[in-house]
Amino acid sequence: MSDDHGLVEMQPTPGQKLAAIFKQREVRVATAWGVLVTFIFFIIGGWIYPSWMPIAMSTDMKSIERLIVIFTWISAPICGIVLGFSIYTFLHRHKGDTPPADGPAIRTNSLVVGLWVIVSSALCLVAIVYGLIEMNTASAATAEHKKNAMVVEVTGSQWAWSFNYPEQGVVSHELNLPINRPVEFRIISVDVNHSFWPVQLGVKVDANRLQTTVVDTTPNKLGTLDVKCAELCGLYHAYMETSGEVMSVADFDAWVTSHQGGHTA
Amino acid sequence: MSGNQSTMTAGKRVASAVFGVLLMVAAVGAVGFTLHKASADPQKKLFATKTSETIVIEGKSYPKATITMGVYADTAQAKEMGYNTTNKKDYVQYGPSTHIVLPAHTYVTMTIHGYDGGEKLNAPFFGKVIGTVGGTMNVDGVDVSEIPADQVQHTFTIHSLPSTNRDPLFINIPLQHVDEGDDGLLPTKDPGTNFKGHTITFSFITGGAGEYVWNCEYPCGDGTYAKFGAAMSAYGYMSGKVSVA
Repeated sequence: MSDDHGLVEMQPTPGQKLAAIFKQREVRVATAWGVLVTFIFFIIGGWIYPSWMPIAMSTDMKSIERLIVIFTWISAPICGIVLGFSIYTFLHRHKGDTPPADGPAIRTNSLVVGLWVIVSSALCLVAIVYGLIEMNTASAATAEHKKNAMVVEVTGSQWAWSFNYPEQGVVSHELNLPINRPVEFRIISVDVNHSFWPVQLGVKVDANRLQTTVVDTTPNKLGTLDVKCAELCGLYHAYMETSGEVMSVADFDAWVTSHQGGHTA
Repeated sequence: MSGNQSTMTAGKRVASAVFGVLLMVAAVGAVGFTLHKASADPQKKLFATKTSETIVIEGKSYPKATITMGVYADTAQAKEMGYNTTNKKDYVQYGPSTHIVLPAHTYVTMTIHGYDGGEKLNAPFFGKVIGTVGGTMNVDGVDVSEIPADQVQHTFTIHSLPSTNRDPLFINIPLQHVDEGDDGLLPTKDPGTNFKGHTITFSFITGGAGEYVWNCEYPCGDGTYAKFGAAMSAYGYMSGKVSVA
């Protein structure tokens, strides 16, 4: 582009455009807020949030916990920038009766839009690829699990769970499992749909009416299990919970022996 | 705009804000109060009767208590059997209350008179007697540990949520259904009535104080899906509370 004197007006480079944006004090302050919020979310996602989560008692739960941490880290900058600018806007909002005139309209800013799209896409891509890798790892582990898996038939009914151990000949309302042995849950509902959720094992699977769903996991830590229904299923859905335990092999064998041919008392 | 006018405007603003906050608090409070009132236990509590006797179980002595309930096919049958139900719906129902109160650390003997027929349990698991002393219940004088899934009229099943502040309590009692071939006609005011029933007795030991729920696990409501509507989806009929105090 040239003016009346034939002089060529130089278009600013993307770097110059970016520098010009950041020369504005408002942008620098808002960005600083964004960095601070990002840092806070980074800390919360990496160290505080995991301490709020249930104790991981299987590799699946550990994997889910790690996935949530990484996804939180990935989303922290986006959340940080949005909240940073929101905070700046809130702190510097207009006070008084007469609002100032509107500023010049920002028609477009290809650089900012481009960066936003590229960075967001990259973050989404990382999340997708990481999720696929985790899913593939879990699938590979499932194939390995089946070789030595102990079958537990899980039945959901309004409003209680029951567990049948065909290999051991035990039926129970508590979910007791031996440590370090793969478990194959065969989940079914005999009435409405439920969702089988042994929290500490990182398993949450719909219990569909008269349809069996199979899922595997391997408990690898001793402790108490909370088993919940995660699908609204009627009047006493909130009470459709039970407990269980991941126990040593010796303790599990003793429990089986004391309940074979019957049920837990 | 004068200074005086500005002050008045600011005052109005504050008053409006305060009024708005108070209005929201009132609205939230009204909703909370309404919900609390709606969820309040509509029935009187049924207290277990403590006796002077004690029993020793596995080296530990427990005081004894008894409590009796009935389960009726409908309102007419409940009244016929002496339970003057105030339930508005003509559903199958337990009585004389669905909120029972049991003493803590006590050997409780519960008697349930069951007058209803039955079809088949959704989950055969609930045909088993669970959580009683000895793992059995007594049906018309006979000790049993299980009822076939197609011979159950209802169940009395106490749940407890996993909690570190409450002793676990899970009890399941399947009630033998009443059919045409059963003996033992019940005494009725109306000679034309042909009610028959079963008397189920069982004992269990309560832990420490806590709130539990119980419900029937037999699909005795209505609805095309699993028969868990009507009586099974309303308070005061086939489910209730258990307070251990």
